[in-house]
Amino acid sequence: MGLAERHSKTSDLTHWRGRIPVNYVYTTGRAGEKFFRGIINGQLLAAECSSCGVVYLPPRTYCERCFARLEDSYVKVLPQGRVHTFTLCHKNLDGSRRPTPILIAMVKIDQTDGGLVHYLGGVTPEEVYIGMSVEAVFKPKKQRKGSILDIKYFRPKK
Amino acid sequence: MKITARLLERTATPLSHEDFVTGKMFTVDWKPDLRYAWDDGVAIGRYLKELKQGRIMAKRCRKCNRTMLPPRMFCERCWRITDEWTPVEDTGTVNTFAISHVDWAARRIPKGQRYYTPAVIEIDGASPGMGILHLLDKVAPDKIFIGMRVKAVWRPIAERVGAITDIKYFKPV
Repeated sequence: MGLAERHSKTSDLTHWRGRIPVNYVYTTGRAGEKFFRGIINGQLLAAECSSCGVVYLPPRTYCERCFARLEDSYVKVLPQGRVHTFTLCHKNLDGSRRPTPILIAMVKIDQTDGGLVHYLGGVTPEEVYIGMSVEAVFKPKKQRKGSILDIKYFRPKK
Repeated sequence: MKITARLLERTATPLSHEDFVTGKMFTVDWKPDLRYAWDDGVAIGRYLKELKQGRIMAKRCRKCNRTMLPPRMFCERCWRITDEWTPVEDTGTVNTFAISHVDWAARRIPKGQRYYTPAVIEIDGASPGMGILHLLDKVAPDKIFIGMRVKAVWRPIAERVGAITDIKYFKPV
């Protein structure tokens, strides 16, 4: 007994498996609401701060640097930009292996100081490079739901 | 007061439950898949294995003369390794209990359905205050009292998996 009592075979080890049931509903907020209305219409909206010149994308309700109110005057920007960085993803969110890897990039949107993390399409991993010009490909209007996935992916700009 | 209302107007958007149901605004729904695996350890590992056999096993500390349930490898009172295993009874006494009107998801239990009646049961053979947190059944919630004598109702042996739920519930003796 006592100290002598310990597992000597790994087959004696037992464990308890469980799941923690959690779910959440996150509202996109005042800025997100306008941003995703724009996405439904095939537009990207940004928030420009007139006093310090920063252009936020996704838009903000106020300027994070000077606290100016921004939400009254969002501006349309073209749904295009440049690959800021990218990665080739071989696994799904649940850790399972994808049949084909997928390209995910941070796309810095032109005319703004911000960007979107999104899929890249119409380009192979060998072809993609940092600085590549890309444009958003939207789903058909009927399929759009006010989600970032209303954009199918970004593809090399023709 | 006026300032607060004006600030709210400018910066906040009140939402009702209805707004979520009807989809008034955009939302992102997500269910994170949170899984864990917890090492049973030596004491709880054996405890669970014995439950599968229909036995409740406790562990003794010879120094303080306590019979500890659930079993543990270390006596937190004497600061020493515990000693021998000993079987205890599957009967006991209600130490404390609750009548829960909500389920695990905190939803109200509909009228007519049984409320959950969890209880701490001091097991016969274990030291006073030592016992199991489990469910009571086969007794009206308003008939439960502290000091009530109860007995374990086990699952059929084929259904046991080595879990505390191998005991279905405790019922009055």
